[in-house]
Amino acid sequence: MRLTLFTTGVLLTAVLRTQADWSASRGSAQGTAALRWENPGALEEWHYAWKTQVRYKPGLAVWASPALALLDGRPVAFIGGFDQTLHALDLSTKRVLWRHMSNAGISAAPVTGEFQGRCIVFIASNDRTLYALDARTGTVLWTRELAPASPSLGDADFTSPLLFGGRLYVAGFVYDRALARSQQRAWLYVLDPADGRLLQRLEIGNGFVSEPVGYTAGGKTYIAIAARKGLLQSFAVDGDTPQRAWTFQMPHEVLGAPAVETGVPEPVLVLGSKYGNLIALDAATGRERWKRMAGNWFDNSACIGQLDGTNVVFAGSHDYAVYALRAADGSLLWRQPLGGEVHSAPAFFDLNGTPAVLVAALDNHLHTLDARTGRVLTSYFTGRPVWDKINKGENRWGSPVVIEAGPSTAALYGSFNATVYLLPLAAPCSLQARARSVRGLWISLGVVALAFGLTLPVLTRRT
Amino acid sequence: MNDILSAAETWLSGAFGNIKLVEKAMMGLEGSYVELLTILSLGLLAVLPAIVPAQRRQRWRHLNQAFGIIIFIYVVFTCLGVFGMIRNFQRGLSEIGRENIVALYYCSVPATILVTSMLFGPAFCGWICPTGALQEWIGLLTGRWNRKRKAAGYPFSRAAFAAALGVAAIFLLWMMHLSRTRMFFVEDASIYWSEVLVLIVLLLVWNMRRWDRPLRRLRLLSFILVAAASALSLRVTSPVHLGFAKVYDPASLLSTVMVILATLVIPRVWCRYLCPWRSAIAWAGRHSVRAIVLDSAACTRCGICDGVCDVDAVTKGVIDSKECHFCMKCVDACPHRALSIQDDWRRPCA
Repeated sequence: MRLTLFTTGVLLTAVLRTQADWSASRGSAQGTAALRWENPGALEEWHYAWKTQVRYKPGLAVWASPALALLDGRPVAFIGGFDQTLHALDLSTKRVLWRHMSNAGISAAPVTGEFQGRCIVFIASNDRTLYALDARTGTVLWTRELAPASPSLGDADFTSPLLFGGRLYVAGFVYDRALARSQQRAWLYVLDPADGRLLQRLEIGNGFVSEPVGYTAGGKTYIAIAARKGLLQSFAVDGDTPQRAWTFQMPHEVLGAPAVETGVPEPVLVLGSKYGNLIALDAATGRERWKRMAGNWFDNSACIGQLDGTNVVFAGSHDYAVYALRAADGSLLWRQPLGGEVHSAPAFFDLNGTPAVLVAALDNHLHTLDARTGRVLTSYFTGRPVWDKINKGENRWGSPVVIEAGPSTAALYGSFNATVYLLPLAAPCSLQARARSVRGLWISLGVVALAFGLTLPVLTRRT
Repeated sequence: MNDILSAAETWLSGAFGNIKLVEKAMMGLEGSYVELLTILSLGLLAVLPAIVPAQRRQRWRHLNQAFGIIIFIYVVFTCLGVFGMIRNFQRGLSEIGRENIVALYYCSVPATILVTSMLFGPAFCGWICPTGALQEWIGLLTGRWNRKRKAAGYPFSRAAFAAALGVAAIFLLWMMHLSRTRMFFVEDASIYWSEVLVLIVLLLVWNMRRWDRPLRRLRLLSFILVAAASALSLRVTSPVHLGFAKVYDPASLLSTVMVILATLVIPRVWCRYLCPWRSAIAWAGRHSVRAIVLDSAACTRCGICDGVCDVDAVTKGVIDSKECHFCMKCVDACPHRALSIQDDWRRPCA
């Protein structure tokens, strides 16, 4: 009897395992933004509409990218936004677990990790504070004010934290009106994730900076951060103090974070910039390996996925297209134009045996693409258009993430209409776009011709 | 066939995807992408028609059009095309008080055009508009043929009908290819404008005298549809839109090519029948201080002015203010100087 109970207990523990290793803003250094759910239950479509008066602009909500975790065997999403609130959403029961309000907008994704048997969510708010919250209850475990209050402080921008090598890294920039432009400072903070103790603080620039990304190359561990002004820096973090390993000046402004290849001896680090440069560097030395050009901005991060044994870089550009390039040499595998500027970072995942890429575009759709060919598999209409309310480069846009769960595979995306969408990708979904149907297109052309024909007598009569 | 179309599309993608000469705002406002020089240049171009000397006026006009194309297509990143300008004007108005720099940027060009049209006549159409200039220059290829048809009262012509059928066939083939290779959304509505353009050309070739005037009313419908789409935040692409967006936009390219092909058969076909801005500019032009005035005593009814007008806005020296593009070709062509440009600050509003 005891043995049976013990075995059942072990099995239940295995099945209802808690998995919280969304350690970087897009899940990992590769930025694939997908969490595997090994023993999936059903995931139904859910439109989580959050009513708040705090909007980015009238009619426009801005969500940051979500983080995912498995709590007691159930997928849970953590998503913050301009409404200053972090939401914990149980995706299998379509229930809000808890909400926690900070004192300013949240523009970056949370990360999750397990410490001392607890699943913890770390989130940096633009109230200059880093929060550690119990993932199950939302209880505040600790907070750390990263930049002290001062009457001269202006807008703050704090990035996603990074859990790497047992430390918590977060970068941020607070504009200080009392200082000249050359005296402004952006900082990288190194903290103890257990209690939020500040271990170190490094000056990394004088403007906005990207999320830190941690990686291993040549047996050493590094973190890389890109400054908005284009300075990409890598720090060796093997020792007690991060040491600047190399720097690389990108040709233009940078809005996304680097993505780094894994599983190869000499990984590349890929970063896109304004005006369409996508540059791959040797992650250990910072030496340029290849450079490709798109027709317009890359204003979000790339992701690197493994396709039939080859690492492939996926990136979306403001020239409406998604690019797939071989990570080793940058050779173009495919380019797929969509209906609008691709503003999100791509997610790479397995869709029922087919490698797929998910991106959000300013044609108001999420698009699932076949990662091998670039063919659009399905598109989902995710709300009212926002193209006329945003300016390129004014914000880091939230990007979709994916719960990989075989037939229950689903995407999670915070759309600009204040709704967070959970959309089944391998099952029917009410938001599946019909605009791409060839038949629909020709029917619409027929309707226009008919309307034109019906208008003619009216035009003649009124003349 | 599909391979040929694919190869052509690949080439076009490369040719049109990256045609901006200026990558950064030459005179950008701090913290924004607002390009002041563009606004100032467009304002200057709008004023030039009023200050250039009468001698060699048409050369000045072509120079102005060329500058207009360079600024609109090769410098401006934000769409200020025929549809985009209506949309952006609405956006600019909604940004007043919220982001005044953005509001200034989006309102400045349409406001400049409307105000200068009220002051100096609807010269934007004849002197600046890139879509208009494109049609005018392409139309030179078939200008002599079209002038003969016009002089004969646009009779049914087999050659014109064959050309119109050719335009329709290109549209259908291209659409078949695009429908298989590209995803279309509501925003790609320029394909519908192209379709209507093709139908208009077929109808006009069949009976120009019957349909010319009634079809011009479509401009207002076009304006209403674009304004409604703008209110609904739908980004309706237009011909030449791809030039502003710095992207290869097949729907916009298709409509641009359709405008080019259709203008070979019917001069300035887009301006005459479908341009939504034309409605607004014609309205502003009717209140203009400047006007082309006919001296009836000097006019011999020779019809030379009728012949030079691309949009059939002149009938025996009488100018139809709703149709006039203020290109002043009729003024310059008149051998008896019966047509002149006059400023009348006391002109009552129409």
